[in-house]
Amino acid sequence: MAKDRFQVEVLTPEGEVFNDEVEMVSTRTTVGSIGILAHHQPLLGMLEPTELRLYRSDSDVVRYAQGEGYVQVSPDGVLVLVEEAQDPGELDRGDLQDKQRKAEEALSSCDEGTEEHRRAARDKRRWETFLRIAGDGGA
Amino acid sequence: MSASQRDVKTRIGSVKNIQKITRAMEMVAAARLRRAEQRIEALRPYAGAIRRMTRQAAEAAGSEMAALPILSEHDSEDTIALLLITGDRGLAGAFNSQIVRAGLRAAAEHEAEGRSVAYSAAGRRGVSTLTFRGKEPQGQYVGFTDRPSYADAREIAEDLVAAYVDDKIDRVEIFYNGYISPLTQEVRRETLLPLQQATILEAGDDDDDGGEADSAHHSLVEYEPDPEEILKRLIPDYVEISVYRALLESTASEHGARMTAMRSASENAGELIEDLTLEMNRARQAEITQEIMEVVAGAESLT
Repeated sequence: MAKDRFQVEVLTPEGEVFNDEVEMVSTRTTVGSIGILAHHQPLLGMLEPTELRLYRSDSDVVRYAQGEGYVQVSPDGVLVLVEEAQDPGELDRGDLQDKQRKAEEALSSCDEGTEEHRRAARDKRRWETFLRIAGDGGA
Repeated sequence: MSASQRDVKTRIGSVKNIQKITRAMEMVAAARLRRAEQRIEALRPYAGAIRRMTRQAAEAAGSEMAALPILSEHDSEDTIALLLITGDRGLAGAFNSQIVRAGLRAAAEHEAEGRSVAYSAAGRRGVSTLTFRGKEPQGQYVGFTDRPSYADAREIAEDLVAAYVDDKIDRVEIFYNGYISPLTQEVRRETLLPLQQATILEAGDDDDDGGEADSAHHSLVEYEPDPEEILKRLIPDYVEISVYRALLESTASEHGARMTAMRSASENAGELIEDLTLEMNRARQAEITQEIMEVVAGAESLT
C-alpha cells in the first residue's frame, strides 16, 4: 500500500536544496534518530550532523550530508533548516580529513569547559560524521 | 613617419590594450555582482525561518533568554575586537581602504578611552594592510571573499563567540561595506556582541510570511530537546547569520565597486585615446605642412 506523502523543504543559508513530496524523512535530533511520516505530531527539533534521507519511495531515496540545524513539523509539511546539506558524492575526503585534524588539534590545545573546547568538539563530530558519509558513498 | 608620431602611436596602442582589460574586468565584475545579489536573496528564507523558530521557542520557554552568555554584557569593557571585512583583491576603488580607515579610526577612539583593541580581518587586503601597519590581526580569514560560504562565516563567528564567552574580549564590532546598489556602498559599523535581544525578536525584513500560522498550534508542539536547549543554539546562529550577511554584502559591494572603478577607467582610457589621436594627427599635419613648404621653397628657388 502506498504511504501518504507530504511536502518537505530543505533550506540552507545558501538557498533551497530540496522541495518535494516524500513518504518519509529520516534524520537525527540531539535526542536520537527520528523518522517522520505523514501526519506526524507538530515538532520542533534540533538536528545533529548525520545523513539526511528523504524517501520519495522505498527505492527512490535522496541523501544529503547534513550539518547542524533544526526541523519543524507542522500540518503544512516539514521544514528542515540546516547549515549545510551536501550531496554525499561531492564530499571531499581530503578536505574533511584536514578539517577533522584541525578540530582535533584545537580540541587538545584548549581547556575543558571553555566555549572554545565545546566548539572544537562540535567541529570534530561534524567532520567525523561527514567523513563516514563520504566513506559509505565512495565504497 | 617621425619619431614623435611613432611614440604617440605606441602609446595609443598600449592605452587601447589597457582599455580592453578594464572593459573585461568590468564585465566580469558585473556577472559576479549578479551572482552575489542572488546569494543575498537566497539567505532571506533561511534567516526568516530561523527568526520564526526562535520566536516560537522563546514563547514556549518563557523568558529564559537573558541567561545566555552571549546576550549579557560584560561588567567592564577592556578589550574590543574589531572585525574588518575587506576583499582579497584590489582594483575596486576605495572599497578596501575605507574599511581599514574606519576600523583604525574606531580603534583610535577606543584606545583614547583606555581600552585595548584586537583586530580580526577577512580578505587579504585587510590582513596585509593591518600587518603592514604593525597591527597584525589575530583572526585572519582569506581566500573566499569572491564567494563566501556559510562555513566561512561560521568559522569567523565561532572564533569571536568563543573568545567572548571565554572572557577574552568584551565587545565585538564589525566593519563592512553594506550593499545598497551596484553604484552605492556604505561603510557600516555594527556591534556583533553582546547580541541585542531586540534584534532577535523584532520582525525583520526577512519575514516573508507572518508567524501567525505557527503560533496558532504551538501548545501542541513537541520539542526535542526542551525549548530552552533549542534556544541556546538558535541564538548563536544569529551571530553566524549576521557575519554571513556581512560577508555576502561585502562581496556584492566589492564587485559593484570594481565595476564602477573599471567603468571609469575605461572611460578615462577612451578620453586619453581621443587626446592622443588628436596629438598624432596634429604631428602628422605639421610634418605634411613642413614638407609642402619645403617643396614650394624648392620650386621657387628654381624660377
